[in-house]
Amino acid sequence: MRRPPPSGVGGERVVETHGLTKHYGKGIIAVEALDLNVYRGEVYGFLGPNGAGKTTTLRMLLGLIRPTSGSARVAGAAPGSPASLARVGAIVETPAFYPYMTGYDNLRLLAMYCGVATSRVDACLAEVDLTPRAHHKFSTYSLGMKQRLGIAAALLKEPELLVLDEPTNGLDPQGMADVRNLIIELGKGDRTVLISSHLLGEVEQMCTRVGVIRKGKIVAEGTVDQLRGAATLTVRGTPAATARAILIQQAGAENVTALPDGTFSLVIDLQRTAEINQHLVQAGVAVTELHADERSLEDVFMELTGTVGGL
Amino acid sequence: MYAAFRGELFKFVRRPGIWVLMILLLVLAVLIGYAVSYLVDTFGSAAGSQGLPAGTTMADFKVALYPENFVKGTMGTWGALGGVFALIMGVLVQGSEFGWGTTKTLYTQRFGRLTMLFGKILALAVLLLVMVAGLFAVDAASSWVVALIDGKPVAFPGWDVIVQAIVASFLIFGFWAIFGLGLATIFRQSAMAIGLGLAYALVVEVLIFSLLRGFGGKVVQQIEQWFPIANTGSLARSFGEIKIKGIPPGPAPFADATHSVLMLLLYLAIFAGIAAWLSRTRDVTA
Repeated sequence: MRRPPPSGVGGERVVETHGLTKHYGKGIIAVEALDLNVYRGEVYGFLGPNGAGKTTTLRMLLGLIRPTSGSARVAGAAPGSPASLARVGAIVETPAFYPYMTGYDNLRLLAMYCGVATSRVDACLAEVDLTPRAHHKFSTYSLGMKQRLGIAAALLKEPELLVLDEPTNGLDPQGMADVRNLIIELGKGDRTVLISSHLLGEVEQMCTRVGVIRKGKIVAEGTVDQLRGAATLTVRGTPAATARAILIQQAGAENVTALPDGTFSLVIDLQRTAEINQHLVQAGVAVTELHADERSLEDVFMELTGTVGGL
Repeated sequence: MYAAFRGELFKFVRRPGIWVLMILLLVLAVLIGYAVSYLVDTFGSAAGSQGLPAGTTMADFKVALYPENFVKGTMGTWGALGGVFALIMGVLVQGSEFGWGTTKTLYTQRFGRLTMLFGKILALAVLLLVMVAGLFAVDAASSWVVALIDGKPVAFPGWDVIVQAIVASFLIFGFWAIFGLGLATIFRQSAMAIGLGLAYALVVEVLIFSLLRGFGGKVVQQIEQWFPIANTGSLARSFGEIKIKGIPPGPAPFADATHSVLMLLLYLAIFAGIAAWLSRTRDVTA
């Protein structure tokens, strides 16, 4: 389901930060010297554990929080400036609307503020499947419906950049799948999506590129495949010396590691698995174990952020 | 700015709390200002007249309810009490944004923070104008009804006086509303802002001047003229006092209307400035 990196990567930067830093009082560093580039057309996942600085960063990009130092350009203008806001749709944490107004009226209000035709309201409500509840008060909405109304509000301006902070927070599995599919659809074409999350599966499925943030710093960035690194092949065979010789012959000495448990780990294109097996068997090696090891994004995440257990 | 103003009005007309507050003010204006007063002045027992100067009865107070005195009556009663409603209005329109977390929604639409704030203040001004006009309308209508019941001539003050009084009330309400809006911005919530606003309105200035009166002389008056609530009272009293047979006139206003208008405009600018500065510079973290 995940899209390949768009051809635009390395092209026009829709979000660009240089040394973006936010300190609260003395000693609390929320974000430190963040250099972030999001290119036109990509779905960029901003991944990090709770408290890593994701929301603070997104708030700085929307002009809600002023950075202590550093600079940023969002959609070609200063964060929070009318020129930038006109081209950006956003949800920051839980979407906030007026509880005494209907979903429809809330969007009508935002359409006024944005200078968007009221006719967009119906289209946006339909896009998130909220039309049947459009004329009910916001205070009666479930969390999932609030989240969908937030996405509809973010879409009102037909923005070229969508900033979504934990858009599936609080949703049930079906709701999460719906929002995920919606975001994948929205990210198609020229639109850029910057999405923050601590849900790895979500990011893995939706994002073309991922930045991992920890304690306010980007600790890794790349496509999901790049972050996961090369897959390895684990082999066990007897006699071990012969097996080792064959594996070195096939994969190169630098790509073969003998592990303490008597197995060998090969960094190799996994499509060559059958071929490797064939060479071993032909050399008289009894192959007792042969399997691919692919690191999950979760493994990478745990490694990078030092997070243990649930995120 | 127009879009922000329009948006705020859109919210105001849909907000039940605004209507409740406005209707409550108007109902109280009729009930307290006229209905109850008329009943007491007409059917009050003789005991009610005890303590009044010789020859003065409760019925003499009915003159305050007739059309010729409706402007003075409205200014006298609501120039002070109406401010509380305006304060709550100012707090609600700003404080609720923090409570609901809609500040971030407002600030991520299209316009800058100051545009959104001044759009709100402009819409609040319209709301206050409707409130004040409504207050004068129901008071005028009530005084007309009282005059009809008592068979008195229906002689309203001139339009110029009525318009001046509406403008003065608008300024008084405006000060209170911006005071409330400023407090709500400072504390980023409604409860604290209403609490402190009411405490100031009902206690702080009263206490300060009660203590200062110990100095005697003109000291109190000289200090008082720099305080906002004293100036709202002074401005309201500048429209004159209702003359009731046998009742001596109260103290004259400590300053002329121009002084009070300027002082209220100054306070209005100060609180609007505080709200603007905080809105512009403060991080939105909720």
